[in-house]
Amino acid sequence: MLKIKKVGKVYEGKVAYRALTDIDLEVEKGEFVAIMGPSGSGKTTLLNIISTIDEPTAGVVEIDGKSPHQLKKNELAKFRRQELGFIFQDFNLLHTLTVEENIVLPLTLDGARIKEMKEKASTIAEKLGIGAIMNKRTYEISGGQAQRVAIARAMIHEPKLLLADEPTGNLDSKASKDVMEMLVSINEKEQTSLLMVTHDPQAASYSDRVIFIRDGKLHSEIHHGESRQAFFQKIIDMLSLMGGDGNDLSSVRV
Amino acid sequence: MTFRQFAFNNVLRNKRLYVAYFLSSLFTVMVFFTFANFAFHPVFTGGTVDSKALFSMAVAGGIIYIFSFFFVLYSMSSFLQSRKKEFGLLMLQGASTTQIRLMVFMENILVGFLATVGGILLGLVFSKAVLLIAENVLIVNESLNFYFPSLAIGVTFISFMVLFLFISMFVAFILRTKKLIDLIKGDKQSKGEPKANIFLAIFAALLLIIGYGVALTVKGALVVYAMIPVIVVVILGTYLLFTQLSVYIIRKLKGNRTIFWRKTNMLLFSDLSFRMKDNARTFFMVAIISTVAFSAIGTLFGFQSYLTKGMVQANPFSITYFSYADDTDKDINNELNQIQAILNEKDIHSEMKQIALNYYSSPYRDEGVLFVKASDYNNFARLVGEKEIHPGEKEAIVVDQSSKILSYSNPSDQLMESTIKLENGAELTPTAKIETEILPEFNGYYIITDNNYEQLGSPLRSSMYYVWQVDKGQTDKVVEAGEKISEKVPYKAQSVDYNVYQINKTFGPILFIGLFIGIVFFVSAGSFLYFRLYSDLEDDKRKFGSVAKMGLTQNELKKIVNRQTALLFFAPIIVALIHGAVALTALSHMFDFNLMKEATFVLGSFALIQIIYFLIVRLFYVKQLKHAIY
Ligand SMILES: Nc1ncnc2c1ncn2[C@@H]1O[C@H](COP(=O)(O)OP(=O)(O)O)[C@@H](O)[C@H]1O
Ligand SMILES: [Mg+2]
Repeated sequence: MLKIKKVGKVYEGKVAYRALTDIDLEVEKGEFVAIMGPSGSGKTTLLNIISTIDEPTAGVVEIDGKSPHQLKKNELAKFRRQELGFIFQDFNLLHTLTVEENIVLPLTLDGARIKEMKEKASTIAEKLGIGAIMNKRTYEISGGQAQRVAIARAMIHEPKLLLADEPTGNLDSKASKDVMEMLVSINEKEQTSLLMVTHDPQAASYSDRVIFIRDGKLHSEIHHGESRQAFFQKIIDMLSLMGGDGNDLSSVRV
Repeated sequence: MTFRQFAFNNVLRNKRLYVAYFLSSLFTVMVFFTFANFAFHPVFTGGTVDSKALFSMAVAGGIIYIFSFFFVLYSMSSFLQSRKKEFGLLMLQGASTTQIRLMVFMENILVGFLATVGGILLGLVFSKAVLLIAENVLIVNESLNFYFPSLAIGVTFISFMVLFLFISMFVAFILRTKKLIDLIKGDKQSKGEPKANIFLAIFAALLLIIGYGVALTVKGALVVYAMIPVIVVVILGTYLLFTQLSVYIIRKLKGNRTIFWRKTNMLLFSDLSFRMKDNARTFFMVAIISTVAFSAIGTLFGFQSYLTKGMVQANPFSITYFSYADDTDKDINNELNQIQAILNEKDIHSEMKQIALNYYSSPYRDEGVLFVKASDYNNFARLVGEKEIHPGEKEAIVVDQSSKILSYSNPSDQLMESTIKLENGAELTPTAKIETEILPEFNGYYIITDNNYEQLGSPLRSSMYYVWQVDKGQTDKVVEAGEKISEKVPYKAQSVDYNVYQINKTFGPILFIGLFIGIVFFVSAGSFLYFRLYSDLEDDKRKFGSVAKMGLTQNELKKIVNRQTALLFFAPIIVALIHGAVALTALSHMFDFNLMKEATFVLGSFALIQIIYFLIVRLFYVKQLKHAIY
């Protein structure tokens, strides 16, 4: 499903900065992979490259057999709205639109029929429990609701790959739990591949596999065993083994 | 929600963001419409105004239109700059470049249409007032009645719909979709400080000093030749002043910890340098545009007062009559009677004096030299309250006209150097030279005693000169009489009040148009500043919001914003005021005419308007910040 080979990224500037070195990663269809690492280790950079927000300075990215970075502008736009879904830490909803309009935006851009948009929006809103706030504007809803709206927007066009950068970073633990459970159920039911960057071992423990990055290089990976509790413990151990700056564990909620 | 609905909702629900752009477009349309309303007024199109005035109006209309184009283009592109993140998010959701362009295009057509219609309506509301002002400045005979300006409406509507359509296509085209990451991070990224180079900073100061130096020292006709080079040097100097010198100074201040780390200075200076690239460009543009406005209005205003004041100075008497050398006594009497009849008819009280201007042959001048009896001269001088002249028995006094315009050779110098032989053998030497306007003789003349005058022999030629001094407070009547007199006795008779009236009348439209364009420039400079300020509003809200959490009192906030805004509003205007003052000084050197009063008045009014504008904008800005933070 997702294949990246020898991906590297150098930020040009007064002093060039190497943010990623030789990253190899494969994600299967329907797999849920979490990426962890100290802050500044290159997680967001990697996710931005995969999501075509940024470009790698070395290596190749392949999604479903296509190399998005090689696509022409218009094909890339089409690729984004049909194959990819994004969720950010700060939601990134458009504040000029209502909740419902935000959700159907990818379909609107794709020129879908109104009726189809309405139906899909209400189905997904029911699933995510935001049916009652569909006509509200984005500044009238809470953080947890906003993130659910963002998930709905990321899911409505049934993308093959869902990319999430710290989706629970701005949420309290109850909202985090809800959001993670939704992501997992989508991942399981729709067979959507899911790649998520997180600081939160609790959130990471929902995944099938956790990849650790340090100083822009792959450090190690661990797989989900039998129980979530055991997996959570392994993640905590790995994080303390890796060290990094203490800030990173500040958001740990056990 | 279809894509079209989306684009419309995006504008309608985001009024705040669009309001600045909308208002500046609205204003531009209103200005153009007001001008068209005035230019297409039946009084002008009816043919009573001369073709030169019509031509200058057409040119002015063109200037306003072209300026509107760039102004709207600039407003729009700075508006789009502030929406980078929005575009980035849309693209992330899969919007293609074409779709974004289409959206911007539709938005602009919508905003453009509303601005055009709104601008015309607003213009209609104010049109009566504008016509009233125009009527007073212009001195047209017919009054400018309110009329329904269908032609002006049509022309404005079509011109601006074309303009917006064109700009929409243009902007949709140049809206380069850069890398997504740059768009999404767009509002957080500093455009950076321009690189400050010590040599360029010194060069900036040098250019300005040279430009000013030359402008202030050249005299007379040389001003014309110096003008273009000086303008180029000063524009370049201004550009470097804002991009180099100011950056250099700010950087030096930042380097100085005792200043930079003192209280709220850190916030102020770090912002200044963070925004310096944007600011430098705005400062430069505002300074230049305002300079154009100040200089244009100052020049026209100064020129008008030069002409009218010059006219009044050169003609101390209300009405004059100067006979031709070959006129018979009968001709002269006839014309004098006509003038007197007109004065009587208008019931104008006046005192008349006369003098025979006799020219005597001279080896230096073919046309002869004028000699005047002291008693005759003093007779005239008393009438206007000037000093009497009493030359000695052996001397002659040389008189020069003080209001000579741009003359290089001075014929009266020659009079000073030659001696005068009388018929009784006595010889007179010129002892002093004075300047008055009592008699109309450009080449200078002698005043000698009445006794000596008898010894001059017979004159080469002779003219009669009559003057009437009217009592004060009859200007309107005198203007009417003057018009009649100049019809009945053309060329020979002059009425200064009527001449001044004529100058004002011809100059009126030019002054009005100049004033109009100057104000357009000045106000748009103001809205550039407004844009600059408001494009940082969100950023300021975030920044002051987080500082406020650490403990920033409302007063401190007000103080920082105050300084920040004052700098934005006054740095370029002060530079423009200095530029304008130098330009007007150079102008006054060119005509050798003191423009101090006019320049102070024009520049002072602009400074005052800017201060009021600053106070209003700051009030709202601080209010919005406080509202968002506390
Ligand atoms: N635009 C940029 N220019 C230069 N350096 C950058 C840029 N963005 C990120 N970096 C650097 O790259 C490194 C990785 O950043 P990032 O991927 O955001 O880390 P994180 O793992 O916390 O998400 C950091 O050291 C950061 O300073
Ligand atoms: Mg990150």
